[in-house]
Amino acid sequence: MRKNIFKWGIIIIISGLLIGGGIVLYMFNQPHRDVQATKADYKMEAKQLVNEYLTNAQTSNNKYLDEEGESKIIEVTGIILEISKDFNNQTVVLLKNKDDNAGVSCTLLSTANITNLSIGDTVTIKGVIRSGAGYDDDLGLYEDVIMEKSDIIN
Amino acid sequence: MKKTILNLSVVGILFLSTAFSTLENKLVSKSGHVNFFSHTAVEDISADNYKLVSTLDTETGAVVFSVPMQSFEFEKSMMQKHFNSKKFLDTKTFPKAKYTGNITNLSDINFGEDGTSTANVNGELTIHGITKAIDETATITVEGSKITIEAELSITLADYNIAFAKGKPSTNIAKTIDASIKAEFN
Repeated sequence: MRKNIFKWGIIIIISGLLIGGGIVLYMFNQPHRDVQATKADYKMEAKQLVNEYLTNAQTSNNKYLDEEGESKIIEVTGIILEISKDFNNQTVVLLKNKDDNAGVSCTLLSTANITNLSIGDTVTIKGVIRSGAGYDDDLGLYEDVIMEKSDIIN
Repeated sequence: MKKTILNLSVVGILFLSTAFSTLENKLVSKSGHVNFFSHTAVEDISADNYKLVSTLDTETGAVVFSVPMQSFEFEKSMMQKHFNSKKFLDTKTFPKAKYTGNITNLSDINFGEDGTSTANVNGELTIHGITKAIDETATITVEGSKITIEAELSITLADYNIAFAKGKPSTNIAKTIDASIKAEFN
């Protein structure tokens, strides 16, 4: 009888450890959120997003940024002013009207199809927002809204 | 008539080039890289950010780096979430980190000639809403029309009110982390 309790005790402890360890391991190795597979939180014109930030950066940060960095996924539509490569060789598409102070800078995934992109095209790009637009006194220039993990969806 | 137009256009071009030359001293870069590295006996943690905006004024020696904090990418999703959270860098409240500095030995640096030189930069670093003085040396490389500025600094987290008293982060994250920054101006 005593032997049985002992045996079951061991089994329960070991299975507890295995389940607990499994959860910790799962949490630790949890993959990054797949931005493109996630439904967009907002669909808007690039100009509107920029204007919201230029009007009130604080309110916009509260609306679009997430405490753990899983910020809002947005589909922005705008005119391509510039196509460039960043230091990591990622393609960056700037949606901005020529006369505007700031635009939306979208860093595309390496899988994005960029062969048909041209300056002046109107496109819709889906990505995750990382930071807002605003004038920076030290830089002496306007910073664009930054979106990453982006893809052209239209 | 034709000659007048030609003359006018020459004057126009000259005027434009002088008008722009005053602006040309300030270079703007959106091509750069920030990495930070934390080493402890338990684990090494590294994160990369390619979304910084930098300016370099070759006339006054002013340098500015503006870094969007949510653009730091970690291998593990969980680490990235911890990094952004209120307990760590609180990137929702403080979405950007910034370094503003001045090159104090500007006369030692020739921006017009290919080569590498060491710049002494005195300035301030703002992380997590807290500003501290940071004086560092930076390496400036001139290659044709391309100017690269590179620096390495160590950041003591407690200086910026980023501290862990207990739990896993207190053992797994170094008290002082190494940051490297690089920006290319074309």
